[in-house]
Amino acid sequence: MIKMKKPIFFLLIIVISIIMFSACAREEDNTITIAEQYGLAYAPVQIMKDKKILEENLVGMKIRWKRLANTAAIREAVLAGEVDIGFMAIPPFLIGKDKGMDWKIISGLSMSPLGLMTYKEDLKSLADIGKNDRIALPQPGSVQHILLAMAAKREFGDTGRFDDQLVTMAHPDGMNALLSRKEITAHFTSPPYLFKESEEEGIQQIISGEEALGGEFSFIVGVCTEDFYYKYPETYKVFLQSLGQVIEYINQNTDEAATILGESYALSVTETKKYINWPGMRYTMEIRGLDEFISFMQEANYINFENIELADILWEVGLYEKQ
Amino acid sequence: MKNNKIIQRIFWIFLLALLWQILFWSGRFSTLVFPSLLEIGRTLIQALISGELRQQLMFSLSIILQGILLSLFLALFLSLIAQFSRIGASLLDTLLAISHPLPGIALMPLVLIWIGIGKEAILFIIIHSVLWPLVLNLRTGFSSIPAIYTLVGKNYGLKNLSLFFQIMVPASLPYLLAGLKIGWARAWRALISAEMLFGAINSIGGLGWYIFQKRVFFDLPGVFAGIILIIIIGVLVEDFIFSKIEKHTVIKWGIKL
Repeated sequence: MIKMKKPIFFLLIIVISIIMFSACAREEDNTITIAEQYGLAYAPVQIMKDKKILEENLVGMKIRWKRLANTAAIREAVLAGEVDIGFMAIPPFLIGKDKGMDWKIISGLSMSPLGLMTYKEDLKSLADIGKNDRIALPQPGSVQHILLAMAAKREFGDTGRFDDQLVTMAHPDGMNALLSRKEITAHFTSPPYLFKESEEEGIQQIISGEEALGGEFSFIVGVCTEDFYYKYPETYKVFLQSLGQVIEYINQNTDEAATILGESYALSVTETKKYINWPGMRYTMEIRGLDEFISFMQEANYINFENIELADILWEVGLYEKQ
Repeated sequence: MKNNKIIQRIFWIFLLALLWQILFWSGRFSTLVFPSLLEIGRTLIQALISGELRQQLMFSLSIILQGILLSLFLALFLSLIAQFSRIGASLLDTLLAISHPLPGIALMPLVLIWIGIGKEAILFIIIHSVLWPLVLNLRTGFSSIPAIYTLVGKNYGLKNLSLFFQIMVPASLPYLLAGLKIGWARAWRALISAEMLFGAINSIGGLGWYIFQKRVFFDLPGVFAGIILIIIIGVLVEDFIFSKIEKHTVIKWGIKL
Protein backbone atom coordinates (compact mmCIF):
# COMPACT_ATOMS: atom_id res chain seq x y z
CA MET A 1 0.00 0.00 0.00
CA ILE A 2 1.28 3.43 -0.86
CA LYS A 3 1.91 5.89 1.91
CA MET A 4 -0.90 8.37 2.26
CA LYS A 5 1.18 11.46 2.85
CA LYS A 6 2.76 11.61 -0.54
CA PRO A 7 -0.46 11.72 -2.55
CA ILE A 8 -1.83 14.53 -0.44
CA PHE A 9 1.31 16.53 -0.99
CA PHE A 10 1.00 15.76 -4.68
CA LEU A 11 -2.61 16.95 -4.67
CA LEU A 12 -1.62 20.20 -3.00
CA ILE A 13 0.92 20.90 -5.73
CA ILE A 14 -1.72 20.31 -8.39
CA VAL A 15 -4.22 22.64 -6.72
CA ILE A 16 -1.68 25.40 -6.36
CA SER A 17 -0.40 25.10 -9.90
CA ILE A 18 -3.89 25.09 -11.40
CA ILE A 19 -4.82 28.22 -9.47
CA MET A 20 -1.60 29.91 -10.50
CA PHE A 21 -1.94 29.01 -14.14
CA SER A 22 -5.52 30.12 -14.29
CA ALA A 23 -4.36 33.49 -13.06
CA CYS A 24 -1.81 33.72 -15.87
CA ALA A 25 -4.21 32.76 -18.61
CA ARG A 26 -6.12 36.05 -18.65
CA GLU A 27 -6.51 37.69 -22.03
CA GLU A 28 -4.27 40.49 -23.15
CA ASP A 29 -5.46 44.03 -22.75
CA ASN A 30 -6.53 46.18 -25.66
CA THR A 31 -7.42 43.26 -27.85
CA ILE A 32 -10.90 42.46 -28.97
CA THR A 33 -11.77 39.13 -30.39
CA ILE A 34 -14.76 38.75 -32.66
CA ALA A 35 -16.24 35.41 -33.61
CA GLU A 36 -18.51 34.64 -36.54
CA GLN A 37 -19.55 31.70 -38.66
CA TYR A 38 -19.65 31.00 -42.36
CA GLY A 39 -22.64 32.16 -44.37
CA LEU A 40 -24.07 35.04 -46.36
CA ALA A 41 -25.92 36.30 -43.30
CA TYR A 42 -22.54 37.29 -41.85
CA ALA A 43 -21.62 39.37 -44.89
CA PRO A 44 -21.27 42.70 -43.02
CA VAL A 45 -18.79 41.09 -40.63
CA GLN A 46 -16.82 39.74 -43.57
CA ILE A 47 -16.69 43.18 -45.18
CA MET A 48 -15.65 44.72 -41.89
CA LYS A 49 -12.83 42.25 -41.73
CA ASP A 50 -11.72 42.55 -45.36
CA LYS A 51 -11.87 46.33 -45.52
CA LYS A 52 -10.19 46.63 -42.12
CA ILE A 53 -12.86 49.05 -40.97
CA LEU A 54 -12.44 48.35 -37.29
CA GLU A 55 -8.69 48.66 -37.51
CA GLU A 56 -9.19 52.12 -39.01
CA ASN A 57 -11.81 53.24 -36.52
CA LEU A 58 -10.21 51.76 -33.46
CA VAL A 59 -6.66 53.01 -33.37
CA GLY A 60 -4.59 51.35 -30.69
CA MET A 61 -6.79 48.27 -30.38
CA LYS A 62 -5.74 44.91 -31.67
CA ILE A 63 -8.51 43.07 -33.46
CA ARG A 64 -8.63 39.32 -33.77
CA TRP A 65 -11.13 37.41 -35.89
CA LYS A 66 -12.28 33.89 -35.39
CA ARG A 67 -14.51 31.83 -37.58
CA LEU A 68 -16.01 28.99 -35.57
CA ALA A 69 -17.92 26.01 -36.87
CA ASN A 70 -21.13 26.39 -34.87
CA THR A 71 -22.90 28.48 -32.29
CA ALA A 72 -22.12 26.14 -29.42
CA ALA A 73 -18.43 26.72 -30.12
CA ILE A 74 -18.92 30.50 -30.10
CA ARG A 75 -20.80 30.29 -26.83
CA GLU A 76 -18.08 28.19 -25.25
CA ALA A 77 -15.38 30.54 -26.51
CA VAL A 78 -17.21 33.53 -25.02
CA LEU A 79 -17.53 31.69 -21.75
CA ALA A 80 -13.84 30.84 -21.73
CA GLY A 81 -13.08 34.54 -22.13
CA GLU A 82 -11.60 33.95 -25.58
CA VAL A 83 -14.18 35.93 -27.49
CA ASP A 84 -15.64 39.36 -26.71
CA ILE A 85 -18.14 39.80 -29.50
CA GLY A 86 -19.95 36.95 -31.19
CA PHE A 87 -22.45 36.67 -34.00
CA MET A 88 -25.21 34.08 -33.81
CA ALA A 89 -28.93 33.50 -34.08
CA ILE A 90 -31.33 34.52 -31.34
CA PRO A 91 -32.24 31.08 -29.86
CA PRO A 92 -28.67 29.98 -28.99
CA PHE A 93 -28.13 33.41 -27.46
CA LEU A 94 -31.24 32.95 -25.31
CA ILE A 95 -30.20 29.48 -24.18
CA GLY A 96 -26.87 30.86 -22.98
CA LYS A 97 -28.58 33.80 -21.30
CA ASP A 98 -30.98 31.46 -19.56
CA LYS A 99 -28.11 29.40 -18.18
CA GLY A 100 -26.61 32.50 -16.64
CA MET A 101 -24.23 33.95 -19.22
CA ASP A 102 -23.80 37.70 -18.76
CA TRP A 103 -24.28 38.83 -22.29
CA LYS A 104 -26.68 40.97 -24.29
CA ILE A 105 -27.49 41.67 -27.90
CA ILE A 106 -25.67 44.63 -29.41
CA SER A 107 -27.49 44.89 -32.69
CA GLY A 108 -29.15 43.00 -35.47
CA LEU A 109 -26.97 41.98 -38.40
CA SER A 110 -29.22 40.37 -40.96
CA MET A 111 -32.63 38.97 -41.75
CA SER A 112 -32.59 36.11 -44.11
CA PRO A 113 -34.78 33.53 -45.75
CA LEU A 114 -34.48 30.14 -44.10
CA GLY A 115 -36.27 27.08 -45.27
CA LEU A 116 -36.97 23.41 -44.90
CA MET A 117 -36.09 21.87 -48.25
CA THR A 118 -36.90 18.42 -49.61
CA TYR A 119 -36.30 16.35 -52.71
CA LYS A 120 -39.41 14.25 -52.25
CA GLU A 121 -42.23 15.40 -54.45
CA ASP A 122 -44.94 14.18 -52.10
CA LEU A 123 -43.71 16.24 -49.16
CA LYS A 124 -45.84 19.31 -49.71
CA SER A 125 -46.38 20.27 -46.08
CA LEU A 126 -45.18 19.33 -42.63
CA ALA A 127 -48.08 16.90 -42.29
CA ASP A 128 -46.62 14.82 -45.14
CA ILE A 129 -43.38 14.19 -43.28
CA GLY A 130 -43.53 10.58 -42.19
CA LYS A 131 -41.77 8.79 -39.37
CA ASN A 132 -39.13 7.46 -41.72
CA ASP A 133 -38.10 10.81 -43.07
CA ARG A 134 -34.92 12.28 -41.72
CA ILE A 135 -34.43 16.00 -41.28
CA ALA A 136 -30.91 17.44 -41.27
CA LEU A 137 -30.20 20.66 -39.41
CA PRO A 138 -27.15 22.16 -37.70
CA GLN A 139 -27.99 21.10 -34.14
CA PRO A 140 -30.77 20.93 -31.58
CA GLY A 141 -31.30 24.35 -30.07
CA SER A 142 -30.22 26.09 -33.28
CA VAL A 143 -32.53 28.62 -34.89
CA GLN A 144 -33.42 26.03 -37.52
CA HIS A 145 -34.46 23.54 -34.86
CA ILE A 146 -36.47 26.13 -32.91
CA LEU A 147 -38.25 27.26 -36.08
CA LEU A 148 -39.13 23.67 -36.90
CA ALA A 149 -40.45 23.19 -33.37
CA MET A 150 -42.47 26.40 -33.70
CA ALA A 151 -44.05 25.19 -36.90
CA ALA A 152 -44.74 21.77 -35.37
CA LYS A 153 -46.43 23.44 -32.44
CA ARG A 154 -48.58 25.64 -34.66
CA GLU A 155 -49.71 22.85 -36.95
CA PHE A 156 -49.89 19.88 -34.61
CA GLY A 157 -49.69 21.35 -31.11
CA ASP A 158 -46.64 19.16 -30.55
CA THR A 159 -43.29 20.92 -30.21
CA GLY A 160 -41.22 17.76 -30.27
CA ARG A 161 -43.02 16.09 -33.16
CA PHE A 162 -39.90 15.88 -35.33
CA ASP A 163 -37.27 15.64 -32.60
CA ASP A 164 -36.77 11.92 -33.11
CA GLN A 165 -36.05 12.42 -36.78
CA LEU A 166 -33.32 15.02 -36.58
CA VAL A 167 -29.85 14.47 -37.85
CA THR A 168 -27.19 16.94 -36.82
CA MET A 169 -25.23 18.11 -39.81
CA ALA A 170 -23.32 21.23 -40.69
CA HIS A 171 -24.95 23.07 -43.60
CA PRO A 172 -22.60 21.84 -46.35
CA ASP A 173 -22.90 18.21 -45.22
CA GLY A 174 -26.65 18.58 -44.97
CA MET A 175 -26.79 19.93 -48.49
CA ASN A 176 -24.68 17.08 -49.88
CA ALA A 177 -26.82 14.57 -48.05
CA LEU A 178 -30.03 16.09 -49.38
CA LEU A 179 -28.74 16.31 -52.93
CA SER A 180 -27.64 12.67 -52.85
CA ARG A 181 -31.36 11.98 -52.39
CA LYS A 182 -31.13 9.17 -49.85
CA GLU A 183 -32.19 8.99 -46.20
CA ILE A 184 -31.95 12.71 -45.53
CA THR A 185 -35.26 13.69 -47.03
CA ALA A 186 -35.37 17.24 -45.72
CA HIS A 187 -32.84 19.89 -44.75
CA PHE A 188 -33.52 23.04 -42.72
CA THR A 189 -30.91 25.48 -43.92
CA SER A 190 -29.82 29.03 -44.57
CA PRO A 191 -28.10 30.90 -47.44
CA PRO A 192 -26.05 30.27 -49.49
CA TYR A 193 -27.02 26.59 -49.10
CA LEU A 194 -30.71 27.40 -49.17
CA PHE A 195 -30.29 29.25 -52.47
CA LYS A 196 -28.10 26.57 -53.99
CA GLU A 197 -30.60 23.88 -53.06
CA SER A 198 -33.54 25.84 -54.36
CA GLU A 199 -31.80 26.13 -57.73
CA GLU A 200 -31.46 22.37 -58.01
CA GLU A 201 -33.92 20.47 -60.14
CA GLY A 202 -36.69 18.88 -58.08
CA ILE A 203 -35.81 20.41 -54.74
CA GLN A 204 -38.70 22.26 -53.18
CA GLN A 205 -39.43 24.16 -50.00
CA ILE A 206 -41.81 22.70 -47.43
CA ILE A 207 -41.93 25.70 -45.13
CA SER A 208 -40.00 28.94 -44.82
CA GLY A 209 -38.55 30.42 -41.66
CA GLU A 210 -41.02 33.29 -41.74
CA GLU A 211 -43.97 30.94 -42.04
CA ALA A 212 -42.63 28.94 -39.14
CA LEU A 213 -42.30 31.93 -36.85
CA GLY A 214 -45.26 33.83 -38.20
CA GLY A 215 -43.40 36.97 -39.18
CA GLU A 216 -40.06 38.57 -39.88
CA PHE A 217 -37.18 37.89 -37.55
CA SER A 218 -33.52 38.70 -37.19
CA PHE A 219 -31.49 35.72 -38.27
CA ILE A 220 -28.12 36.82 -36.95
CA VAL A 221 -27.45 39.27 -34.16
CA GLY A 222 -24.25 40.57 -32.57
CA VAL A 223 -23.74 39.80 -28.91
CA CYS A 224 -21.18 40.94 -26.36
CA THR A 225 -20.41 40.24 -22.73
CA GLU A 226 -20.98 42.61 -19.82
CA ASP A 227 -17.27 42.41 -19.12
CA PHE A 228 -16.47 43.83 -22.50
CA TYR A 229 -19.24 46.43 -22.41
CA TYR A 230 -18.13 47.91 -19.12
CA LYS A 231 -14.41 47.51 -19.64
CA TYR A 232 -14.27 49.13 -23.07
CA PRO A 233 -17.26 51.48 -23.36
CA GLU A 234 -15.59 53.58 -26.05
CA THR A 235 -14.63 50.59 -28.12
CA TYR A 236 -18.15 49.31 -27.84
CA LYS A 237 -19.53 52.56 -29.23
CA VAL A 238 -17.09 52.60 -32.11
CA PHE A 239 -17.89 48.99 -32.87
CA LEU A 240 -21.59 49.75 -33.03
CA GLN A 241 -20.95 52.68 -35.35
CA SER A 242 -18.67 50.64 -37.57
CA LEU A 243 -21.30 47.95 -37.84
CA GLY A 244 -23.79 50.57 -39.00
CA GLN A 245 -21.21 51.84 -41.45
CA VAL A 246 -20.63 48.45 -43.13
CA ILE A 247 -24.30 47.64 -43.26
CA GLU A 248 -24.95 50.93 -45.01
CA TYR A 249 -22.03 50.22 -47.32
CA ILE A 250 -23.43 46.84 -48.36
CA ASN A 251 -26.87 48.26 -48.96
CA GLN A 252 -25.57 51.13 -51.07
CA ASN A 253 -22.69 49.51 -52.94
CA THR A 254 -24.07 46.05 -53.44
CA ASP A 255 -21.94 45.37 -56.53
CA GLU A 256 -18.69 46.31 -54.89
CA ALA A 257 -19.63 44.39 -51.77
CA ALA A 258 -20.43 41.34 -53.89
CA THR A 259 -16.94 41.41 -55.39
CA ILE A 260 -15.32 41.46 -51.95
CA LEU A 261 -17.63 38.79 -50.57
CA GLY A 262 -17.31 36.53 -53.58
CA GLU A 263 -13.58 36.34 -53.03
CA SER A 264 -13.86 35.55 -49.34
CA TYR A 265 -16.65 33.04 -49.74
CA ALA A 266 -15.23 31.39 -52.87
CA LEU A 267 -18.39 32.16 -54.84
CA SER A 268 -18.50 33.81 -58.25
CA VAL A 269 -19.35 37.51 -58.25
CA THR A 270 -22.58 36.99 -60.20
CA GLU A 271 -23.66 34.30 -57.78
CA THR A 272 -22.86 36.48 -54.80
CA LYS A 273 -24.73 39.41 -56.31
CA LYS A 274 -27.75 37.28 -56.95
CA TYR A 275 -27.62 35.83 -53.45
CA ILE A 276 -27.30 39.08 -51.51
CA ASN A 277 -30.12 40.59 -53.56
CA TRP A 278 -32.35 37.56 -53.00
CA PRO A 279 -35.82 38.52 -51.80
CA GLY A 280 -35.86 38.46 -48.02
CA MET A 281 -32.10 38.87 -47.64
CA ARG A 282 -31.71 42.08 -45.65
CA TYR A 283 -28.82 43.59 -43.79
CA THR A 284 -30.07 45.80 -40.99
CA MET A 285 -29.32 46.69 -37.41
CA GLU A 286 -32.97 46.43 -36.48
CA ILE A 287 -33.86 43.49 -34.32
CA ARG A 288 -37.05 41.59 -34.99
CA GLY A 289 -38.76 38.50 -33.67
CA LEU A 290 -37.30 38.58 -30.18
CA ASP A 291 -40.67 38.35 -28.42
CA GLU A 292 -41.79 35.47 -30.58
CA PHE A 293 -38.64 33.47 -29.84
CA ILE A 294 -38.73 34.22 -26.13
CA SER A 295 -42.37 33.35 -25.57
CA PHE A 296 -42.18 30.16 -27.61
CA MET A 297 -38.96 28.98 -25.98
CA GLN A 298 -40.43 29.66 -22.54
CA GLU A 299 -43.56 27.72 -23.30
CA ALA A 300 -41.65 24.81 -24.73
CA ASN A 301 -39.25 24.81 -21.77
CA TYR A 302 -36.13 25.50 -23.78
CA ILE A 303 -35.54 28.42 -21.45
CA ASN A 304 -36.83 29.01 -17.96
CA PHE A 305 -36.43 32.66 -17.11
CA GLU A 306 -39.57 34.64 -16.47
CA ASN A 307 -40.48 38.32 -16.61
CA ILE A 308 -37.31 39.22 -18.37
CA GLU A 309 -36.99 42.89 -19.27
CA LEU A 310 -35.88 43.94 -22.72
CA ALA A 311 -33.08 45.87 -21.06
CA ASP A 312 -31.71 42.57 -19.70
CA ILE A 313 -31.37 41.25 -23.21
CA LEU A 314 -30.49 44.24 -25.33
CA TRP A 315 -27.78 46.84 -24.94
CA GLU A 316 -29.59 49.07 -27.42
CA VAL A 317 -33.28 48.75 -26.65
CA GLY A 318 -34.03 51.28 -29.38
CA LEU A 319 -33.03 48.81 -32.10
CA TYR A 320 -35.88 46.45 -31.30
CA GLU A 321 -39.29 46.85 -32.81
CA LYS A 322 -42.19 44.72 -31.69
CA GLN A 323 -44.32 43.39 -34.49
CA MET B 1 -3.09 -8.19 -4.44
CA LYS B 2 -6.38 -7.64 -6.16
CA ASN B 3 -7.98 -5.91 -3.19
CA ASN B 4 -5.01 -3.67 -3.02
CA LYS B 5 -5.55 -2.58 -6.59
CA ILE B 6 -9.19 -1.75 -6.00
CA ILE B 7 -8.38 0.20 -2.87
CA GLN B 8 -5.77 2.18 -4.74
CA ARG B 9 -8.25 2.93 -7.53
CA ILE B 10 -10.85 4.14 -5.10
CA PHE B 11 -8.29 6.14 -3.21
CA TRP B 12 -7.07 8.00 -6.28
CA ILE B 13 -10.56 8.58 -7.61
CA PHE B 14 -11.61 9.97 -4.25
CA LEU B 15 -8.59 12.25 -4.22
CA LEU B 16 -9.28 13.51 -7.73
CA ALA B 17 -12.91 14.14 -6.86
CA LEU B 18 -11.81 16.03 -3.79
CA LEU B 19 -9.44 18.10 -5.91
CA TRP B 20 -12.32 18.93 -8.25
CA GLN B 21 -14.58 19.97 -5.40
CA ILE B 22 -11.87 22.09 -3.77
CA LEU B 23 -11.35 23.91 -7.05
CA PHE B 24 -15.09 24.42 -7.25
CA TRP B 25 -15.28 25.76 -3.71
CA SER B 26 -12.30 28.03 -4.29
CA GLY B 27 -14.60 30.04 -6.56
CA ARG B 28 -11.79 30.70 -9.03
CA PHE B 29 -13.89 29.53 -11.96
CA SER B 30 -17.40 30.49 -12.93
CA THR B 31 -19.86 27.77 -11.99
CA LEU B 32 -20.95 27.84 -15.61
CA VAL B 33 -17.57 26.50 -16.65
CA PHE B 34 -16.86 24.40 -13.62
CA PRO B 35 -19.96 22.86 -12.07
CA SER B 36 -19.99 21.28 -8.64
CA LEU B 37 -19.44 17.56 -8.42
CA LEU B 38 -22.65 17.20 -6.43
CA GLU B 39 -24.59 18.87 -9.22
CA ILE B 40 -22.97 16.56 -11.76
CA GLY B 41 -23.76 13.54 -9.63
CA ARG B 42 -27.37 14.59 -9.26
CA THR B 43 -27.74 15.10 -13.01
CA LEU B 44 -26.20 11.71 -13.68
CA ILE B 45 -28.45 9.91 -11.24
CA GLN B 46 -31.55 11.71 -12.48
CA ALA B 47 -30.74 10.88 -16.09
CA LEU B 48 -30.14 7.24 -15.17
CA ILE B 49 -33.37 6.98 -13.21
CA SER B 50 -35.50 8.66 -15.84
CA GLY B 51 -34.31 5.93 -18.20
CA GLU B 52 -33.23 8.31 -20.93
CA LEU B 53 -29.55 7.75 -20.37
CA ARG B 54 -29.99 4.04 -19.68
CA GLN B 55 -31.56 3.50 -23.08
CA GLN B 56 -28.87 5.50 -24.81
CA LEU B 57 -26.18 3.62 -22.95
CA MET B 58 -27.63 0.24 -23.90
CA PHE B 59 -27.84 1.39 -27.49
CA SER B 60 -24.19 2.44 -27.51
CA LEU B 61 -22.99 -0.71 -25.78
CA SER B 62 -24.96 -3.03 -28.05
CA ILE B 63 -23.46 -1.42 -31.16
CA ILE B 64 -19.97 -1.70 -29.71
CA LEU B 65 -20.46 -5.32 -28.81
CA GLN B 66 -21.70 -6.13 -32.31
CA GLY B 67 -18.81 -4.21 -33.80
CA ILE B 68 -16.20 -5.97 -31.70
CA LEU B 69 -17.63 -9.44 -32.34
CA LEU B 70 -17.82 -8.87 -36.07
CA SER B 71 -14.30 -7.48 -36.09
CA LEU B 72 -13.04 -10.46 -34.13
CA PHE B 73 -14.47 -12.91 -36.68
CA LEU B 74 -13.18 -10.86 -39.56
CA ALA B 75 -9.75 -10.54 -37.99
CA LEU B 76 -9.47 -14.27 -37.35
CA PHE B 77 -10.64 -15.00 -40.86
CA LEU B 78 -8.20 -12.57 -42.49
CA SER B 79 -5.27 -13.78 -40.40
CA LEU B 80 -6.17 -17.36 -41.16
CA ILE B 81 -6.03 -16.63 -44.87
CA ALA B 82 -2.80 -14.72 -44.49
CA GLN B 83 -1.31 -17.59 -42.51
CA PHE B 84 -1.83 -20.11 -45.25
CA SER B 85 -1.47 -18.05 -48.39
CA ARG B 86 1.44 -15.87 -49.40
CA ILE B 87 -0.65 -13.70 -51.67
CA GLY B 88 -3.20 -13.27 -48.93
CA ALA B 89 -0.49 -12.25 -46.50
CA SER B 90 1.00 -9.64 -48.78
CA LEU B 91 -2.43 -8.25 -49.59
CA LEU B 92 -3.35 -8.09 -45.92
CA ASP B 93 -0.10 -6.36 -45.03
CA THR B 94 -0.76 -3.74 -47.66
CA LEU B 95 -4.34 -3.25 -46.49
CA LEU B 96 -3.06 -2.92 -42.96
CA ALA B 97 -0.51 -0.32 -43.92
CA ILE B 98 -3.19 1.68 -45.70
CA SER B 99 -5.99 1.39 -43.20
CA HIS B 100 -4.46 1.11 -39.78
CA PRO B 101 -3.33 4.73 -39.46
CA LEU B 102 -6.52 6.08 -41.04
CA PRO B 103 -8.81 7.61 -38.40
CA GLY B 104 -12.41 6.49 -38.72
CA ILE B 105 -13.62 10.06 -38.45
CA ALA B 106 -11.71 10.95 -41.60
CA LEU B 107 -13.84 8.41 -43.44
CA MET B 108 -17.04 9.95 -42.15
CA PRO B 109 -17.89 12.04 -45.23
CA LEU B 110 -17.52 8.95 -47.42
CA VAL B 111 -19.52 6.79 -45.07
CA LEU B 112 -22.32 9.35 -45.18
CA ILE B 113 -22.50 9.05 -48.94
CA TRP B 114 -21.92 5.31 -49.30
CA ILE B 115 -23.70 3.83 -46.32
CA GLY B 116 -25.93 6.66 -45.20
CA ILE B 117 -26.61 7.72 -41.66
CA GLY B 118 -28.10 4.62 -40.08
CA LYS B 119 -26.79 2.29 -37.46
CA GLU B 120 -24.79 0.51 -40.18
CA ALA B 121 -22.68 3.63 -40.63
CA ILE B 122 -21.67 3.64 -36.98
CA LEU B 123 -21.04 -0.08 -37.12
CA PHE B 124 -18.78 0.43 -40.11
CA ILE B 125 -16.73 3.06 -38.31
CA ILE B 126 -16.40 0.82 -35.26
CA ILE B 127 -15.31 -2.16 -37.29
CA HIS B 128 -12.77 -0.01 -39.05
CA SER B 129 -11.37 1.11 -35.70
CA VAL B 130 -11.24 -2.35 -34.16
CA LEU B 131 -10.33 -4.61 -37.05
CA TRP B 132 -6.89 -3.29 -37.93
CA PRO B 133 -5.32 -3.26 -34.47
CA LEU B 134 -6.72 -6.74 -33.99
CA VAL B 135 -5.27 -8.04 -37.22
CA LEU B 136 -1.98 -6.35 -36.53
CA ASN B 137 -1.72 -7.91 -33.08
CA LEU B 138 -2.78 -11.32 -34.31
CA ARG B 139 -0.12 -11.28 -37.01
CA THR B 140 2.53 -10.21 -34.50
CA GLY B 141 1.29 -12.87 -32.13
CA PHE B 142 1.51 -15.61 -34.76
CA SER B 143 4.98 -14.67 -35.80
CA SER B 144 6.20 -14.72 -32.23
CA ILE B 145 4.96 -18.23 -31.47
CA PRO B 146 7.99 -20.40 -30.67
CA ALA B 147 8.51 -22.86 -33.49
CA ILE B 148 8.42 -25.70 -31.00
CA TYR B 149 4.71 -25.15 -30.32
CA THR B 150 3.74 -25.58 -33.94
CA LEU B 151 6.14 -28.46 -34.34
CA VAL B 152 4.58 -30.22 -31.37
CA GLY B 153 1.17 -29.57 -32.86
CA LYS B 154 2.27 -31.03 -36.17
CA ASN B 155 3.68 -34.03 -34.34
CA TYR B 156 0.23 -34.63 -32.95
CA GLY B 157 -1.01 -34.63 -36.48
CA LEU B 158 -2.77 -31.25 -36.34
CA LYS B 159 -3.20 -29.63 -39.71
CA ASN B 160 -4.24 -26.26 -41.09
CA LEU B 161 -7.48 -25.38 -39.31
CA SER B 162 -6.98 -27.46 -36.22
CA LEU B 163 -3.41 -26.22 -35.93
CA PHE B 164 -4.66 -22.69 -36.28
CA PHE B 165 -7.36 -22.89 -33.64
CA GLN B 166 -5.74 -25.30 -31.19
CA ILE B 167 -2.18 -24.07 -31.21
CA MET B 168 -1.77 -20.71 -32.90
CA VAL B 169 -4.75 -18.83 -31.51
CA PRO B 170 -4.23 -19.87 -27.87
CA ALA B 171 -0.48 -19.36 -28.11
CA SER B 172 -0.94 -15.83 -29.37
CA LEU B 173 -3.78 -15.03 -26.99
CA PRO B 174 -1.84 -12.37 -25.08
CA TYR B 175 -1.47 -10.48 -28.33
CA LEU B 176 -5.10 -11.02 -29.23
CA LEU B 177 -6.17 -9.70 -25.84
CA ALA B 178 -3.89 -6.69 -26.16
CA GLY B 179 -5.44 -6.09 -29.59
CA LEU B 180 -8.92 -6.37 -28.14
CA LYS B 181 -8.06 -3.86 -25.44
CA ILE B 182 -6.80 -1.39 -28.01
CA GLY B 183 -9.79 -2.20 -30.18
CA TRP B 184 -12.23 -1.63 -27.35
CA ALA B 185 -10.72 1.76 -26.54
CA ARG B 186 -10.72 2.78 -30.18
CA ALA B 187 -14.27 1.53 -30.67
CA TRP B 188 -15.46 3.61 -27.73
CA ARG B 189 -13.83 6.70 -29.18
CA ALA B 190 -15.11 6.06 -32.67
CA LEU B 191 -18.61 5.42 -31.38
CA ILE B 192 -18.82 8.59 -29.32
CA SER B 193 -17.49 10.74 -32.15
CA ALA B 194 -19.75 9.09 -34.69
CA GLU B 195 -22.81 9.55 -32.52
CA MET B 196 -21.94 13.17 -31.97
CA LEU B 197 -21.73 13.63 -35.72
CA PHE B 198 -24.70 11.60 -36.85
CA GLY B 199 -27.19 12.55 -34.21
CA ALA B 200 -30.07 10.42 -33.06
CA ILE B 201 -30.51 7.27 -35.04
CA ASN B 202 -33.56 5.11 -34.41
CA SER B 203 -34.82 7.95 -32.26
CA ILE B 204 -32.66 6.90 -29.32
CA GLY B 205 -29.17 8.04 -30.11
CA GLY B 206 -26.34 6.92 -27.92
CA LEU B 207 -24.11 8.28 -25.23
CA GLY B 208 -22.33 10.55 -27.69
CA TRP B 209 -25.63 12.02 -28.76
CA TYR B 210 -26.57 12.53 -25.11
CA ILE B 211 -23.41 14.55 -24.53
CA PHE B 212 -23.87 16.51 -27.72
CA GLN B 213 -27.44 17.37 -26.84
CA LYS B 214 -26.41 18.56 -23.40
CA ARG B 215 -23.69 20.63 -25.01
CA VAL B 216 -25.94 22.44 -27.47
CA PHE B 217 -28.44 23.22 -24.76
CA PHE B 218 -25.58 24.39 -22.63
CA ASP B 219 -26.16 21.98 -19.80
CA LEU B 220 -22.62 21.50 -18.53
CA PRO B 221 -23.45 19.20 -15.59
CA GLY B 222 -25.18 17.00 -18.18
CA VAL B 223 -22.05 16.97 -20.35
CA PHE B 224 -19.97 15.93 -17.37
CA ALA B 225 -22.51 13.30 -16.40
CA GLY B 226 -22.08 11.73 -19.84
CA ILE B 227 -18.31 11.88 -19.63
CA ILE B 228 -18.28 10.34 -16.17
CA LEU B 229 -20.46 7.51 -17.37
CA ILE B 230 -17.98 6.85 -20.17
CA ILE B 231 -15.14 6.78 -17.64
CA ILE B 232 -17.02 4.43 -15.33
CA ILE B 233 -17.71 2.00 -18.14
CA GLY B 234 -14.13 2.20 -19.35
CA VAL B 235 -12.81 1.37 -15.90
CA LEU B 236 -15.34 -1.41 -15.35
CA VAL B 237 -14.53 -3.09 -18.64
CA GLU B 238 -10.79 -2.84 -18.02
CA ASP B 239 -10.85 -3.86 -14.36
CA PHE B 240 -13.50 -6.54 -14.51
CA ILE B 241 -14.02 -7.98 -17.96
CA PHE B 242 -10.49 -7.89 -19.34
CA SER B 243 -8.75 -8.74 -16.11
CA LYS B 244 -11.18 -11.66 -15.58
CA ILE B 245 -10.45 -13.01 -19.03
CA GLU B 246 -6.74 -12.62 -18.47
CA LYS B 247 -6.88 -14.29 -15.10
CA HIS B 248 -8.59 -17.36 -16.51
CA THR B 249 -6.42 -17.65 -19.56
CA VAL B 250 -3.06 -16.07 -20.08
CA ILE B 251 -2.20 -15.61 -16.42
CA LYS B 252 -3.26 -19.14 -15.62
CA TRP B 253 -1.21 -20.47 -18.53
CA GLY B 254 1.74 -18.33 -17.55
CA ILE B 255 2.09 -16.60 -20.89
CA LYS B 256 1.02 -13.07 -20.00
CA LEU B 257 3.19 -10.54 -21.74
